[in-house]
Amino acid sequence: MSYFKLALRLLWRDARSGELTILLMALIIAVTSSTAISLFSDRLQGTMNQQAADFMAADLLITSPTKVANAWLEKAQQLNLKAANGAEFSTMLIENDQLLLSSLKAVSQHYPLRGYLKTRQADYQDEQKVYSGPKVGKVWVGQRVLTSLNLSIGEPLQVGELSLTISRILSYEPDKSGTFYSLSPRVMIHTDDLVKTAILQAGSRVQYLFQFSGEEAAIKQFSAWLDGKLSPSQRLLDVHDNRPEIGAALERAERYLGLSSILVILIAGVAIAMAARRYTERHFNATAILRCLGCQQNQVLSLYGIQILVVGLVGSSIGCLLGWFAQYGLFYLLADLLPSTIASASLLALIIGFITGLVTLLGFALPPLLRLKKVSPLRVLRRELEPLSSSAWLVYGLAASIIAGMVWYFTQDLILSLIIIGVGFVTLSVLAGLIIVILIAVKRFLPRLNLSWRLGVQELVREPKANVGQILAFSITLLAMLLSFTVRNDLLKDWQNQLPVNAANYFAINIFPEQVADLRLLFKQKDIPTGEFYPVVRGRLISVNDQLAKQIVTKDSVGERSIQRDLSLTWSSRLPEGNEIIAGNWQAVQSSHQVSIEQELAESLNASVGDKLGFTIRQKDFTAVISSIRKVQWDNMKPNFYLIFSSGTLDSYPSTFITSFYLSEKNKPALNQLLKEYPSMTVLEVEMLLKQFEKILAQLTQAIDYLLLFALLAGISVLFASIYASLDARVHTGALLRTLGANRKLLKKSQFIEFATLGFIASLLAIIAKELISYFLYQHVFHLSYQANYWVWLVMPVMVSISLGFAGMRGLKRVITSSPVQVLRDL
Amino acid sequence: MIINASNVNQVVTSSEGELSILKNVNISIKHGESVAIIGTSGSGKTTLLSLLAGLDTATSGEISLDGKNLGKLDEDGRASLRNELIGFVFQSFQLLPTLTALENVMLPLELVGDAKAKQAASELLARVGLAHRLSHLPKQLSGGEQQRVALARAFVTNPTILFADEPTGNLDSKTGRDVIDLLFELNQENNTTLVLVTHDLRLAERCQRTIQLEEGRVVV
Repeated sequence: MSYFKLALRLLWRDARSGELTILLMALIIAVTSSTAISLFSDRLQGTMNQQAADFMAADLLITSPTKVANAWLEKAQQLNLKAANGAEFSTMLIENDQLLLSSLKAVSQHYPLRGYLKTRQADYQDEQKVYSGPKVGKVWVGQRVLTSLNLSIGEPLQVGELSLTISRILSYEPDKSGTFYSLSPRVMIHTDDLVKTAILQAGSRVQYLFQFSGEEAAIKQFSAWLDGKLSPSQRLLDVHDNRPEIGAALERAERYLGLSSILVILIAGVAIAMAARRYTERHFNATAILRCLGCQQNQVLSLYGIQILVVGLVGSSIGCLLGWFAQYGLFYLLADLLPSTIASASLLALIIGFITGLVTLLGFALPPLLRLKKVSPLRVLRRELEPLSSSAWLVYGLAASIIAGMVWYFTQDLILSLIIIGVGFVTLSVLAGLIIVILIAVKRFLPRLNLSWRLGVQELVREPKANVGQILAFSITLLAMLLSFTVRNDLLKDWQNQLPVNAANYFAINIFPEQVADLRLLFKQKDIPTGEFYPVVRGRLISVNDQLAKQIVTKDSVGERSIQRDLSLTWSSRLPEGNEIIAGNWQAVQSSHQVSIEQELAESLNASVGDKLGFTIRQKDFTAVISSIRKVQWDNMKPNFYLIFSSGTLDSYPSTFITSFYLSEKNKPALNQLLKEYPSMTVLEVEMLLKQFEKILAQLTQAIDYLLLFALLAGISVLFASIYASLDARVHTGALLRTLGANRKLLKKSQFIEFATLGFIASLLAIIAKELISYFLYQHVFHLSYQANYWVWLVMPVMVSISLGFAGMRGLKRVITSSPVQVLRDL
Repeated sequence: MIINASNVNQVVTSSEGELSILKNVNISIKHGESVAIIGTSGSGKTTLLSLLAGLDTATSGEISLDGKNLGKLDEDGRASLRNELIGFVFQSFQLLPTLTALENVMLPLELVGDAKAKQAASELLARVGLAHRLSHLPKQLSGGEQQRVALARAFVTNPTILFADEPTGNLDSKTGRDVIDLLFELNQENNTTLVLVTHDLRLAERCQRTIQLEEGRVVV
């Protein structure tokens, strides 16, 4: 016990002297960001777990592109399950010369089976909970429908061919998930009205919903009975094993936020390692005395280990508390993508954040700490004796293992983890190498500089390797922030600006075959340039050469995304514009059951010409052989397809048509006529879609930026760790200079120059890396021509240099304020 | 004999090649004896002290303390022996800067879990005239006071052997005399074997025997 008390006493004295402040600060920053993420994810998952039934508005939900077999409904009835059904799809509304793309949901009598809806009967009235949907002849709408179409409650709303009366404003719907289409405002009608709207016909793009509730045993029995009966396009969701997902955008947000927090941990880890190293070096003498007095090597390690552990416990606790508050920032920034009611956090999330802190501390502080074990007692007589540094394998290996483990934890995919780690390692190595080269080059210029510049820059270039960590920490953080800014502000605008002047700005879907000829004529009469009309059948890709596609594709790949949903399948005898054959033979597509596949999808499936692909449409399976591989220009504003079949392959399936067209401002009124004549057609305005996409992107990147602020704070802790590590030597140098006649102004100026130069190098590297990455992305991924942002070249280095210059000056205040006499006397 | 060194050689490797610090040193010291090791700067005094105290291992030869062969002990074994048998007094005091005077003196006893560490330390600090400075940090004490704290720390474990390396090297002559007087008083009270390294001949004369080193060899 006295041992533990001794360790605590030593710790308390060191803490009061500020020795451990940097280490603690860096740890708190790391734990705050990782706890915020942990809580965010945990609350989302908890929301799905606890409120799964509410989110499905049922105990069990089947989603399907077609109606399910009657036998299923009869089975549910036999098991005394209550049932409700509905359908969800996009449709255009047109009132008062305003157009609005809405998400229509038709619900049956017993909806919702679980949970409730919230509605208002007039603007600004209180919300009421209701336990059933709209009656026949009535429609409930989201507030945005009223404001966009200049409507009020009580007025009629034309839905397809049916006029319905708006009776309520729908403000909350339990099973409205965070998918893209949920960003379109809601229109809710009774299923009995659906047929009268005449919007849906065979081949329409719609999702049918079949909901069931009842005794748990009956639900389980029904679920077991359904096993094996669902087609790949149908999904079964229940409250236990197959819970509803949080939505693709949110899932991606979770992953990228997790990876951002790893950046924070990595940079904070560098600060922890530097602070720990400084701490242990300052304890070599004390350790030698302890060894002299009889303390054994393991006892030394225990003594300091206890101290570091206590620091870890304190830092992790504070970090968890701050992380608790920080998570609210994430929820605020991503509010639009989230369900309205979020579950409370579980203790596990806090524990994960806490353990992350301890593991980070262990990984980055242990190697320096182990040096204390090797301190020789002879150091009491020979001050120059220093224990050997820890093996580089241990130092980097431990840190790398922790980071790799965290990457895997957030991605849950080995290959994606390896890619991220590999790319990260290469990026860091290249940047570190460049930093050393720059510093060596700057060293050559030293003699030509005036005194204050020489003093300042000398500190930076004296030991290039020691300063790499600092500069790298800032470079990486600034790079991440610049890329986030580019994606949020420039990418979409640049893409839009490069479209040809009369590029199609509308897409029309759900056009029925019998409408095509008349539509072509109408477009011609109205002088509206249109593209080709392509037939579309919705189907799912399931296998490659009889092997399940899901066993082939990797996470987050084109292939994975393509097999998780129904694709738009088409056929054509002519190679569409913007497509280029890179393998195989287009002519071969003329034989039946041949398919031409897009290049990236083929690569993701490891498929080549001659391979057999398996599909299912409306529970009927079929195969087609790959006859060619195409490169597709996706951004030509024309309908483009991953898979184009030969004529005759899909004839037996009901289809709709898709086309794109250009509508000038003056021709916009023609759209109203179009929609009135063809109410089943859905028209997507590209600009509106882009605005919605931009909104999601803005929210995601802002959430990432929020975390990058932590990375910046971690970078500042690296800066102060470095300052503190060299403080004694700097104070000594400063005392000598002042003794020799240097004034404080000169010292301050050289300090400012040193850190401003550090900031300049960091921001320069960040800008160069960002320009290279952006160039690559624009040219090779998005196929846009890239224009550098020259104002960034000017503004960022200036801002960063000035900020770091002043931060450095503040950190080195002691060099100026220490009395030279006292310093020299203390030596 | 409490200390025995036979045919001890110490060779170190430097940039100029191998350097022989000690050559064929043979020493025996009786229990309770006070011995001064003298010699000019670079004669090997401090090296000899470090070997005798078990702070370092000899290149060749044998050193035993209280019958225990230091060469056969590992580093932890020597650490245990130091705690059990040895007290140290250094030229630069070597107090832990973040601990108070009392805590510095308590340290050797705390390392072995002695429950009476505080009481013993208080008594010893009173003995060396620092009862009123228990809660002061080393930086708040004068050089002489710091060395007295170091003396108290050295004697708190009732050591069998006391090694002192230039104990007055950083003190003015009057303070140095006071400290040395105290050192010899405590030594006598505890019947400790004293090995004192010094270049001060007057200090050496206060010891019962003198061992002179010259270029690493014992001068007879």
